[in-house]
Amino acid sequence: MSDIAVAGGEAARRDSASVTTADSWQPPDTRRVLQLSLAVIWLLDAVLQYQSFMFSKGFGQMLAGTASGNPGVVASPITWDANLVQHHTVLLNTIFATIQLLLALGIAWRPTLRVALAASIAWSLGVWWFGEGLGEVLNSGASPVNGAPGAVIIYALLAVLLWPSDGHAATAPFAAARAVGAQVARALWLVLWGSLAYFALMPGNRAPQALSSMIAGMASGEPGWLAALDNHAASLLAHQGLAASVVLAVALALIAVGVYLPRPAARATVVLAVVVAAVIWVFGEAFGGILAGGATDPNSGLLLILLAVTYWPARTAAAAAAAAQRAGAEGARA
Amino acid sequence: MMTPSWILDLLAAVMLLVAAASAGRLVAARPWAGSTGDADIDIAHLLMGIAMAGMLVASLTTLPNGVWDAIFAVLTAWFGWRVYRESRGQGARVLADGHHMPHLVHSAAMLYMFAALNAAAAGSGGGMSGMGSSGMAMPTLSAPVVAFIFALWLAAYVVLDLDRLSGPAHGHGSYFARPALAGATTGAGSVSLAAPAVPAGTSAGAAAAQDQAAADGSHPAGGGLLATGSRSGSARALLLSPRAAAGCRIAMGVTMAFMLVIMI
Repeated sequence: MSDIAVAGGEAARRDSASVTTADSWQPPDTRRVLQLSLAVIWLLDAVLQYQSFMFSKGFGQMLAGTASGNPGVVASPITWDANLVQHHTVLLNTIFATIQLLLALGIAWRPTLRVALAASIAWSLGVWWFGEGLGEVLNSGASPVNGAPGAVIIYALLAVLLWPSDGHAATAPFAAARAVGAQVARALWLVLWGSLAYFALMPGNRAPQALSSMIAGMASGEPGWLAALDNHAASLLAHQGLAASVVLAVALALIAVGVYLPRPAARATVVLAVVVAAVIWVFGEAFGGILAGGATDPNSGLLLILLAVTYWPARTAAAAAAAAQRAGAEGARA
Repeated sequence: MMTPSWILDLLAAVMLLVAAASAGRLVAARPWAGSTGDADIDIAHLLMGIAMAGMLVASLTTLPNGVWDAIFAVLTAWFGWRVYRESRGQGARVLADGHHMPHLVHSAAMLYMFAALNAAAAGSGGGMSGMGSSGMAMPTLSAPVVAFIFALWLAAYVVLDLDRLSGPAHGHGSYFARPALAGATTGAGSVSLAAPAVPAGTSAGAAAAQDQAAADGSHPAGGGLLATGSRSGSARALLLSPRAAAGCRIAMGVTMAFMLVIMI
């Protein structure tokens, strides 16, 4: 075989390779994209869990701190778990981080998707209790700005809504309804955002300096530009706690009921939800404190954005089929 | 306060394994015999594996940081040019589907890591050492938001790679297949296009057919010839298989994201 023949063959195959690369890949559908986004966040969680801080006594102390203010029946297991972690920090944290890594890889690897999503629900519920003290929902410390009702419970909610079942696919007006149906999905949305509106109006959150102090507290340890943003936002809200809480609560309540509105209004609601979640994530949560080091997850803002996207109203499969039929009929008449 | 050294050792071992596999792929692809393949990607993986092992474990440091900076600057420019060429055919889709895009991100992340660590070391008046160096505090990256963005981007590629490997599109095999071999992955028509110049049974033809077999789990055309191949032939096919390439990339992506996050 001559070198010229080889070179010619290689050139031909290079040409065909470019065609192949362009033609063979089929983008995943909307729900799969959302599942993959969830996997990315789990992977980010996993690498955050491998940070140095998580292997120190501070991690156990952080867990113990979530017991504070909770009823005894909730707090006692948290304290027991925190003690266990403090005594076996390296082993247990390695296990925790590896579980999260496996959840991420499992969701991304199609054959293990269902197992990984189911496991992620169980894991999230466990972490919500033992790692987040039920998101401070029971001790009056919950605020939509600091991550209520617990970031990890949103992972579980997303796993349920993105379950790979198409029992309601034909009539689903948004991706979140494909598995559980539109009524259940809307009810879950209403409960989540409605509870956030309620938390915004709790006495501890509507105090004159509450919101301002919360945001100012996030600036510590952050990069200069983010600390400056937080400090500016905190000074804007100084002594405006009640007004800010009412505005936030109204916005959250509108979001909660917005998914029951007709499609154009529902779309506006989802956009509002994304904007509010982004504001919470940047100003209230400082990206979950990731840039300051020592964060265990990106907090609730990023997950609320992902959740909102799963409710983006698209045309249902049945409506799309009907539209195609109408177009076909019109074409035939013409 | 440090990440346990055994985790860093383990990851360094994985990176050395990736480097060894990449070196193996380079040799097995026989670029000197005219097979162009993905030599640039294998070289990049080889260098990244060695560099990352040195960052994770100080005793595995091989080259001065300035040299690594220069190497990854060149690799970033090279893959940037490859992505630009791809984008002329695919447009913005190259960001998600481009064959070279993930390698551009990997190279840029390595460049950032070395540059940011050097800047931090210069600021503190000390030199950079491996993360696992005994008694040393964890080095900190300057511009942590860039590290966060890179970590998210790398995580996204890891997840996309796994999805593609396990999804129906992988049956076509082109995304991970070496470009010189990907012609064999489009079906009978493409096989016939490649076959006249590189007959099955020759080393390059066998590699192409075996890679296709590994890509779609089917038996290659002319499988009778390949079925009689030696054990070294199957090892070569394994090394050159798209799954091996993707496995290296996934391992590298996870490790790089880990390094970026723990140094924030």
